[in-house]
Amino acid sequence: MTDRLLSLRQVIDRVIPQVDGVLAIKRGPGGIVAPFLFTKAQSDTLDQLAIWPKEPTPDTLKIIQHAHPEAKLAIVCRGCEERGIVEMFKHHQLVWDNITLIGLQCTQEEAEFCRCAKPYTVHASLIVGEPIKGVPDPLTEKIAAMSLEEKQAFWKDEFVHCIKCYGCRNICPQCFCNICALEDETWVETGRLPMPNPSMYHLIRAMHMTAKCVACRECEETCPAGIPMAVQFRLIARDVQEMFSYETGAVLDQKPPQLLVLEEGEYERTGLPH
Amino acid sequence: MYEPKIIGFLCNWCSYRGADTAGMARLKYPPNVKIIRVPCSGRISPELVLRTFREGADGVMVLGCHIGDCHYSNGNHRTAKRMPVLKKLLEYTGIDPNRLAVDWVSAAEGEKFANVITHFTEKISALPPFVETMK
Repeated sequence: MTDRLLSLRQVIDRVIPQVDGVLAIKRGPGGIVAPFLFTKAQSDTLDQLAIWPKEPTPDTLKIIQHAHPEAKLAIVCRGCEERGIVEMFKHHQLVWDNITLIGLQCTQEEAEFCRCAKPYTVHASLIVGEPIKGVPDPLTEKIAAMSLEEKQAFWKDEFVHCIKCYGCRNICPQCFCNICALEDETWVETGRLPMPNPSMYHLIRAMHMTAKCVACRECEETCPAGIPMAVQFRLIARDVQEMFSYETGAVLDQKPPQLLVLEEGEYERTGLPH
Repeated sequence: MYEPKIIGFLCNWCSYRGADTAGMARLKYPPNVKIIRVPCSGRISPELVLRTFREGADGVMVLGCHIGDCHYSNGNHRTAKRMPVLKKLLEYTGIDPNRLAVDWVSAAEGEKFANVITHFTEKISALPPFVETMK
């Protein structure tokens, strides 16, 4: 057991008597990790507590909360997962008051693996590990600096590998609509491979991720074709911050900019004619 | 020289009436724009614009009421929020963002309507056909 895992274990041991369960990652047989709800009754399972690789725990939290709305739960979350929980709360997917956040700070290697700009938690009251600074994202910078033709060639090359498994949508903590535009024949040619260019699937998904993407990169991790789609989301997130001063997961009571009315000064920043 | 295909989504209350005004004033503008009348410019979802491009349009125009004049009080605020983001997305995907134009034309601005259409058609004519850039 590493020092980090040990200190996480100590925090969980402290929290577990006050809550109904602690959601974290458990290492199962064969070394496979998966989200798991640790409870007081089975505290010996805590020996199999794991940290890495990260798993989409906010999604699991939502499922558990829907089944048991009154349950007091704690969750071990990294910076990205915490942002996911905040955004899910803003869109009424979670009950905030029943959740205790245990903030697990990422290490330098983990942050570099994720090209993460914010590998630390901000809302969590319990902290494990030392917060570190964000790391630069060379891939996004590279693509942002390309010319239009180069971008077009790059994305065409990437999207041609897409097998439309919908894995990126399924794993996304922010994709929770009951009726999904990506399953609608009007917008996306379902079952046609390789998808025609420009790819409606990826463009619509990128548009729907505006001011919602929390940069957890679960979609890139899960993609069997290795498409770096989070790059588009990240570039748009920068524009959203510029135009609407909105940062996903940063402030709990800041309303998402998709809401109808333009706020003071927003219109000037969108660059539209007067 | 090719004739660009342009689709114009016009809001029923301002821009479509603006087109009527331009017609009544016998103003000249290029015939490349196919006009689709919609209840409000806020009706135009990004999916709709993307599909229009996918179907082979070289340019898309979204015209609505001026901010503050919307028939549904703040429907065009939606347009003002989503279209700039869509333009950025087009740019990041390698599609020229100038192919999408957003502007505000009121029912009285027949002259502005003709100007907007003329300028946009000129701009699109200078670009290669959209389908060819996607090959």
